[in-house]
Amino acid sequence: MTAYIHGQNVNLTFRPPNRAPVRALQGFDIAVEEGEFLSIVGPSGCGKSTFLSILLGLLKPDSGDIDLHGKPIAGPGTDRAMVFQEFGLLPWRSVAQNIELGLQLKGVAAAPRRQIAQRFIEMVGLRGFESHYPHELSGGMKQRVGLARALATDPDVLLMDEPFAALDAQTRDLMQAELLRIWQEARKTVLFVTHQIDEAIYLSDRVLVMTKRPGRAKKIFTIDLPRPRDYEMRVTPEFNDLKLEIWNALKDEIMG
Amino acid sequence: MTETNQLEVPFVQAAAPPEESAEVTPSGRRGLESFALGLSGIAVLLLLWEAVPYLVTMKAGTRLFFTPPSEVAVTLWNLFSTGVIWSPLGVSAAGFAVGLAIAIAVGLPLGILIGRSETLDALCEPFVTAFNATPRLVFLPIVLLWFGLGLWSKVVIVAFGAFFPLLINTHEGIRNTDKLLINVVRSFGAKEWDIIRLVVVPNALPYIITGLRLAIGRAVLGVVVSEFFGSNEGLGVMMVQAASQYKVNIVFAGMIVFMALSLGMTGLLKMLENRLGRWRPQRIGE
Amino acid sequence: MMEDAVPRPSFVQQNRKLLLGSLSVVAFFIAWQAAFLVVPFNSLFITKPSLMFEALWRLTLSGQLFFDLGASAAPFFWGLGAAVVVGVPLGILMGWRSRVGQALDPLLTALYASPLVALAPLIVIFLGVGPTGKAFIVFVLTVFDFVFNAYAGVRSVDNLLLNVVRSFGGKEKDLYLKVIIPSVIPYIVAGARIGVGRALVGVLIGEFFAASEGVGYGIVKFGNFFALDSMFSYILVITLIAVILTQGIRWAERAAFPWRAGQ
Repeated sequence: MTAYIHGQNVNLTFRPPNRAPVRALQGFDIAVEEGEFLSIVGPSGCGKSTFLSILLGLLKPDSGDIDLHGKPIAGPGTDRAMVFQEFGLLPWRSVAQNIELGLQLKGVAAAPRRQIAQRFIEMVGLRGFESHYPHELSGGMKQRVGLARALATDPDVLLMDEPFAALDAQTRDLMQAELLRIWQEARKTVLFVTHQIDEAIYLSDRVLVMTKRPGRAKKIFTIDLPRPRDYEMRVTPEFNDLKLEIWNALKDEIMG
Repeated sequence: MTETNQLEVPFVQAAAPPEESAEVTPSGRRGLESFALGLSGIAVLLLLWEAVPYLVTMKAGTRLFFTPPSEVAVTLWNLFSTGVIWSPLGVSAAGFAVGLAIAIAVGLPLGILIGRSETLDALCEPFVTAFNATPRLVFLPIVLLWFGLGLWSKVVIVAFGAFFPLLINTHEGIRNTDKLLINVVRSFGAKEWDIIRLVVVPNALPYIITGLRLAIGRAVLGVVVSEFFGSNEGLGVMMVQAASQYKVNIVFAGMIVFMALSLGMTGLLKMLENRLGRWRPQRIGE
Repeated sequence: MMEDAVPRPSFVQQNRKLLLGSLSVVAFFIAWQAAFLVVPFNSLFITKPSLMFEALWRLTLSGQLFFDLGASAAPFFWGLGAAVVVGVPLGILMGWRSRVGQALDPLLTALYASPLVALAPLIVIFLGVGPTGKAFIVFVLTVFDFVFNAYAGVRSVDNLLLNVVRSFGGKEKDLYLKVIIPSVIPYIVAGARIGVGRALVGVLIGEFFAASEGVGYGIVKFGNFFALDSMFSYILVITLIAVILTQGIRWAERAAFPWRAGQ
C-alpha cells in the first residue's frame, strides 16, 4: 500500500545565522508511484526545491518520514539524480567529462565510463560536442549535458528542479519535447518542479499544487491526456480546462 | 591592463578574481601604437637620465650618486662576463627557493583547510589579519637572533612574507566556490575529499596562481631586506656594500637583476594564469 | 508572523565568529605564557607575555614609546602625503589622457613590480638617516599604489553613467561631482590601504639602517641589548598600529562607499 516515494508530515525550518528563521515545509505529504511523472507547482519560495533537496539527500528534514522504495532516505545515493536549474556544470570539464562525473564518483573505470557517457551524449543529441567546454555551449545544450549527466548513473528517480526556467521560450518548448522522448525511452520516475502550469500539464501524469510558505500539499490533479503527447495538445479544450483548474488552485496562494 | 590584479581594488582582496580578456594582445594599429608609446616612455626616461650630466652641472658630492644607464649596463655586463655575480646570485636564489617552497607547502593546505572549515577560519582570522597587516620586517631582528646570520634567517623571512598572499588567496578561492557545484557533486555521493579534489581546488586554481604571483614579489622583497640587514653573502649584501663604498653603478645593476628576476617570474605565472583561466583541457581528478 | 514562532538564534550563534576569534587570541597568549612552566625560560632568547606587557607599561610611563612613535610618525605621514600629492594627479592624468597612460604604463608597471626597497641603502646614504631619508623611502614605496589605483579608478568610470547624467541635462561640473569623483575616490582609498602597509615598511627600513630614534630603531636597539621584553612590546605596538590602520581604512571604505561592498 505504501507508494514508491512516500513522504509524510515533512517539516523543515532554515536557520540562517544572523537572520530570522524561515519555515520552508510544514506538514508536507506526498506519494509518488513508480515510473510516474509528477510535477510540483507552487508560488515562489514555497519549498518545492527544498523538498527535492531532501529527496536528493542534501538536506535533512527536522521531522517527518520520507521513504524511497520502502527505505528511509539517509543521504545522497546513486538511485536518485538531479537536474539543476542553473545547470551546475563544472566549467573546467568538457561535456564528456561532465557527463562522466557521477560515474567517476561511483568508481566506474575510465574506459566503460567513456562508453556510457558516449551513449548519453548521443541520446541528448550532443554528438560532436564531446570536448567542448560549458562556456562554449548555449543554455539549451548545457541543460542537455545536465540531463545526460543525471541519466548516466542510471538512477531510479530523476529529480528536476525548474530545469528549463533559465532557457528562452523556444528552447524550452524544444527541451520539453526532448524530455518526453527521453522519458518514454528511459522510463524513470520523475519529480519535476516548475513555475509553469503549461509545462506541468504537458509533461506530467499528475500535478501537485503546493501552498505558499510554509509549503504543504494543497491539491493533486490527474492529467488524463493521452501519450505520446505533442505540441498541438496544448491548444485543446481539455488542456485549457486543466490549466484553468490548476490556476484557480494556485491563484489564492500567489495572491494571498 | 596587465597589472590590475596586483593592485588592490576596493573590496576585492589581494585575491582579485582572475579576469580573462584582461591581457589584450597588441593587435592592429591601436595595439601597436600603445606598444610604441610604452616603449618610448621607457626610452625617454633612459635618455633623459643619460643626458642629465650634460644638461646640469652637479656638485662633486652629488655626482658621486649619479650613474648614467650606459654605465650601469657596462657594470651589468662585467658582473656577468667575469662571473662575479654567480656566487651571490646563487646564495640569494637558494634563500628565495627554499623560503617560497616552505610557504607553498604550508600555505596551500592551510588555505584549503580554513577555506572549508568556518570554525578553523574564525580561530585563525585574528592572526592572519594581524600578521598580514604587519610588515614582516619587524620580526627580522628577532629572527636574526633565533636563526643567526645566513641562509635560515633569510628562509624564514622569505617564507613568512610569501606565506600570507598564498594563504589568503587560496582561502578566498576556496570560499568563492559556487555552492551549486558543491551540491552537484555531493548529490552524486561525493565525500569531503572528492569535493576538494573535483570542485574546490580546480575552482581556486586561478586564485592560487594570483597568490603565487604576489608571493613571488613578497619573497624577492624578503631576500632583499634580509640580506640588507642580516646576511654576509648574497646579491643584497653586494648592494649594501657597494652603496657604502659609493659604487652606485653596482647598486643599480643589482636592482636591475632583482627587477628582471621578479618580472620574469611573474610574467611566466601570468602566462600560466591565462592558460588555466580559459579552462583549456586540464587533467583534473584523473 | 509564522516566523516568530521559531526560536531566534542565541547570542553565541550570532557572534560565533567573533567569539571564536577572541578565544583563539586569548588562548594564544595563555599558551605562550604557560609554555614556560614546562620549558626552561631563557630571557636572552625569548620573552613571555607578562614581561612583554610589563615592558610596554614601563615604556609608556617613561614616555619613551611616545617619543619613538612621534619620531616614526613624522616621516610616515610626510612620505605618504607626498605620495598622494604626486601619485593621484599622475594616475588621474594617465587615466584621462589615454596616450599619457599608454606611454607611462609599462615603465611604471616595471618599477612597481620591482623590489624598490633595494634603493633604500642609496637613499639613506644620499639623504641621511634623519626624517628626510625615511620620508623619501616611504614616498618611493607608496607612490605607485596611488598612481595605479587612481589610474584604475578613472578608467573604471562607466561611460554609460556619463551619458545618463548628460542626457538628464548635466553640466561638466555635474559629471565630475556625480560620476567621476565618486568613482575614483574609492580606488584612492583602497590605494591608501595598501600604501599604509608599505609606508610602515619604508619607515622600518630607514630606521633599521641607521637612526637614533623611532620604533624601528628601538626594536634593533633592544635586540642588541637582549632586552627582549621591550623588543616584543614594540613589535606588538607596530602590529596593533598596522591592524588598526588597515582595518580602519577597510571599515571606513565600507561605511563611506556601501555601494561598492557588493563588488
